[in-house]
Amino acid sequence: MAARRLRGPVISWGAVKWVPETRAYDEAFDRTAAPRPHYRALVGALESFTLSEIDRRERLQKISLVDQGITFTVYGEKEGIERIFPFDFVPRIITAREWERIEAGLIQRVTALNLFIADIYQDQKCLKDRVIPAELILSRKEYKRELLRVVPPRQIYTHVVGTDLIRNDAGEFLILEDNCRCPSGVSYVLENRNLLTRVFPELFTRYPVRPIRDYPRLLLDTLLWSSRASENPVAVVLTPGIHNSAYFEHSFLAREMGVFLVEGHDLIVEDSHVYMRTTHGRQRVDVIYRRVDEDFLDPLTFRRDSMLGVPGLVNVYREGNVAIANAPGAGVADDKAVYAYMPAIIKYYLDQEPLLGQVPTYVGLRGGDFAYMREHLTELVVKTTGDSGGYNMLMGPFASRKEIDAYAAQMKKAPGNFIAQPLIELSAHPTWIDGTFEPRRIDLRPFILYGETVRVLPGGLTRVALRAGSYVVNSSQGGGSKDTWVLADRGA
Amino acid sequence: MLSRVAAALYWMGRYLERAENVTRLLLVTEDFSSETQGLAEQLAQAAWKDLLAILPSAQLAPPVSAFASMSQTYLAGFFLDLGNHQSVIYALRRARENARSVREALTVEVFLALNETFRTLEAHSRRGLSDPPSLRDALVSTHKGLFTIGGAIEQTFPRDEGWFFLKLGEALERVYRTALVLRAKLPGLAAAEPRGDVALYYTQWRTLLRALGSLENYRRSYGARLEPELVVPFLMLDPHTSHSLRYGLEAVRDCLGRIGGAGDTTTTGRLIGRLHADLCYRDEPSQAGIGDPVFLDRVVDTMAQVHDALDAQYFAT
Repeated sequence: MAARRLRGPVISWGAVKWVPETRAYDEAFDRTAAPRPHYRALVGALESFTLSEIDRRERLQKISLVDQGITFTVYGEKEGIERIFPFDFVPRIITAREWERIEAGLIQRVTALNLFIADIYQDQKCLKDRVIPAELILSRKEYKRELLRVVPPRQIYTHVVGTDLIRNDAGEFLILEDNCRCPSGVSYVLENRNLLTRVFPELFTRYPVRPIRDYPRLLLDTLLWSSRASENPVAVVLTPGIHNSAYFEHSFLAREMGVFLVEGHDLIVEDSHVYMRTTHGRQRVDVIYRRVDEDFLDPLTFRRDSMLGVPGLVNVYREGNVAIANAPGAGVADDKAVYAYMPAIIKYYLDQEPLLGQVPTYVGLRGGDFAYMREHLTELVVKTTGDSGGYNMLMGPFASRKEIDAYAAQMKKAPGNFIAQPLIELSAHPTWIDGTFEPRRIDLRPFILYGETVRVLPGGLTRVALRAGSYVVNSSQGGGSKDTWVLADRGA
Repeated sequence: MLSRVAAALYWMGRYLERAENVTRLLLVTEDFSSETQGLAEQLAQAAWKDLLAILPSAQLAPPVSAFASMSQTYLAGFFLDLGNHQSVIYALRRARENARSVREALTVEVFLALNETFRTLEAHSRRGLSDPPSLRDALVSTHKGLFTIGGAIEQTFPRDEGWFFLKLGEALERVYRTALVLRAKLPGLAAAEPRGDVALYYTQWRTLLRALGSLENYRRSYGARLEPELVVPFLMLDPHTSHSLRYGLEAVRDCLGRIGGAGDTTTTGRLIGRLHADLCYRDEPSQAGIGDPVFLDRVVDTMAQVHDALDAQYFAT
């Protein structure tokens, strides 16, 4: 990747150096390289440390991550590679006013998403009214025709949503994508907070940071709410197992919620109910928080070769005897092409304008869009609609001619599988890199819970692209994370 | 609790106990071998070879160099060789894999201690230790790590069903290993006479007690006097030393009782009850014939049967 990062002025008030961002929006510094008001106290606090003290604390924090086994698995490398998800200790701060807007926008969006999915699996009014092209929905593998007219308990499809936000160079928050299947990362949100309070407790004394430790309880409430069982419903977390990249999180959430962590073969279907195999025989299960891809949930309904699933599970779900969060089939809504239609979907179901903007998107399925995409590959970021995790995407502005040609050939074979967006200058945030606070690109994934009400965890996962000049924040592609602070409104 | 979780805890208990047993056996054998090899090389060699009987199906890589000392081959092979399924590093890795697969059922402290000990061991392995003194140092530090894990378990684990499965695995492994150690060592010791070198003869008995972590406990009961007719019954029947067969069998029995409930008459309960009775309530009131190889073989067999019955009753539901 070409070095396009322009090195700005280096500023320093004491022992440590700060480099403000010059191309994009800097979260901490304004255009004059002065700290923004809500970052002043943080910059001051960090200035009060010596270099060696900061280094010492950073080492402590790394040791802590390795010792606790807070790791994820990298695919495509040799099996068994456990990596820590690097943590940068400079917290990302969101003001109460900014958060108020984000929160309202997310609640609106998730409400609309849920209505949309319910409609797709029930009356398909939005297709009849041509809000969104029918072929876009009905041809997707995420659309599960087996589940047509299956109404989940309380009509909730998206119990947990992780929506990715970015901030453009005008300082405006935009939605980048929705994750309606099994969004991951919330364990890092909680662990990052733990880590920062231990390693830099001083930073917290100057800010009213909204607490987040309550998340597991809120999640459990959300899960139990979705059950039809009359009393003492039993919830479990379903994991693909220890080799899954997010296994740490599955086990973390089960432990924090105080529920069983089960694998597919721990569950069995009998008499239209789901049971788990215990040392005292079988015990009924009412709610499954599944962290298994829906295609692998039930080999009798979806993929026959699945070893991770529970044969017959979907039938029990159809009869309403088990709640599955998120509901199978919900993935139809987080498709990257559906994203392009989200403003229309919000308008259609809620008769409201979207409170949060989103990135202009070209959809390969639309002939005009596809022609534009092919001609402007050097300016666009192109993604496949199926993949996630930053796999198989083209960063046009940074790609070589050869890479672009190869990608264009792929696109030609199945235009409908591609979408494109202009390159957004993601905002940058001071990040501790080899003894200097340097700007690195970030995004934000808040977590939204849909239970009795729709609630947003204050903050979310701030991911940071640790490589200089990189825009890709995914953990599998050299990303790290930060603690995210949402400030309480002190009436100021 | 989930059958899978119960099985993982049981295996974690077994592998942790195995790692500790092998570490201890290596340290004790290394001491014995350095002490005796100038004096009676065959005895030192026999002590190392006994390990192959005590840790069945172990596979040792041939020595890297023709000049490598005998102890080095065994130390390296039983400590840091992942290819040897009876090595310390293999046992600890399996213990950690089991722990990782049921992390939500463990306490943070237990996982931390286990993870740290394993990582230190991996670091030793990467450094490619080969000389006996540094291997010995690493063994001592691993032994400490294993005790830290045990301490974390003792201090933080809830005393629920999971605890009893963990402790069951530990006790079963210990009984099994004690029986194998006695089975391997007693015939040789019985044949030896305190004729020529009295000091050497007693060193062997002292080593046996140390190999089963019981030297100090023995001294507390009988003082420094090492009489074979006291040592063997002590290792078989002493109710207070945690490595005696009797203590171990009672631990297995108690865990099974807590898991299966009062009046458990399943296969596992019956197998252990009979073995315990035959050990503790023998027909001959004297200690004659105690430590008989046929009985020790039966202990080993019964442990295998108990394991299979557990698997059928609790793990493969």
